[in-house]
Amino acid sequence: MRINRLTIAYLSLIILTLFAYSLGKFELINKTFFIILIITTFIKGALVIDYFMELKDVSFKYRVIPMIWLFIILSGITLGYYF
Amino acid sequence: MKEKEIYPPGDAGIWIIIYIELITFGLFFLGYIYSRRADVELFNSSQLALNQTAGFINTLILITSSYFVVKAINSIKTYDIKKASKIATRWLNGAISLGAIFLIIKMSEFVTKYSEGINLSTNKFFMFYFLLTMFHFLHVLLGMIILFNIKEKTKIQGYNKNDIKGMQTGAAYWHMVDLLWIILFPLIYIIR
Repeated sequence: MRINRLTIAYLSLIILTLFAYSLGKFELINKTFFIILIITTFIKGALVIDYFMELKDVSFKYRVIPMIWLFIILSGITLGYYF
Repeated sequence: MKEKEIYPPGDAGIWIIIYIELITFGLFFLGYIYSRRADVELFNSSQLALNQTAGFINTLILITSSYFVVKAINSIKTYDIKKASKIATRWLNGAISLGAIFLIIKMSEFVTKYSEGINLSTNKFFMFYFLLTMFHFLHVLLGMIILFNIKEKTKIQGYNKNDIKGMQTGAAYWHMVDLLWIILFPLIYIIR
């Protein structure tokens, strides 16, 4: 059976969510895991933007707006956490 | 190679609304993390009162619901109008049902907190928790109303390959609700 890119994106979102939940459930969050959590959250956001909002096949300027938003917010959260 | 579309799917107006919503929520997210800096202990101890499993299940629910909405759109794009409407209606029914389960779980979390005597004025953490999640809750509710209307139109074969903009407009809003929760979940429930 051929799995399409949308389904791969969906399954990736599920796995990354499970990963985030495990970090919380087993109290593994520290400064190292925090940065991994932020990176995986960025990947999840990017998957939603590209495959659910269907901005992957749209002019770059429209795709980049929510991506920049995602980057700024997660960078802000990272700075707020560390400093 | 697939040629890129010039404009994003759906009506241009919805994208302006989406960008405004993203900025609004984004400021709330940053407000939360910078308030946390002032009293990390309070935020960490208060967070222990939250049900992480409920937050996790709700994340899976919203992601799956969003996936169902994309499947509905793809059905309209793929099949003839009669078959497409039937299949898309099923996907949309699934998406709406999941949205309803999200609201029930979230509502039960609110009720539990209130019955424990925890509310908006308990402390700064819970002020942010209730403000952010209730604000998001209202967006899910509105998204469900939009999806319900799309579903009703789909049922009477109101969308086809050449006229799908209305469905894409509502779908874009629903995915925004999903995107916001994807940040809310680790921010409120996990990061400590």
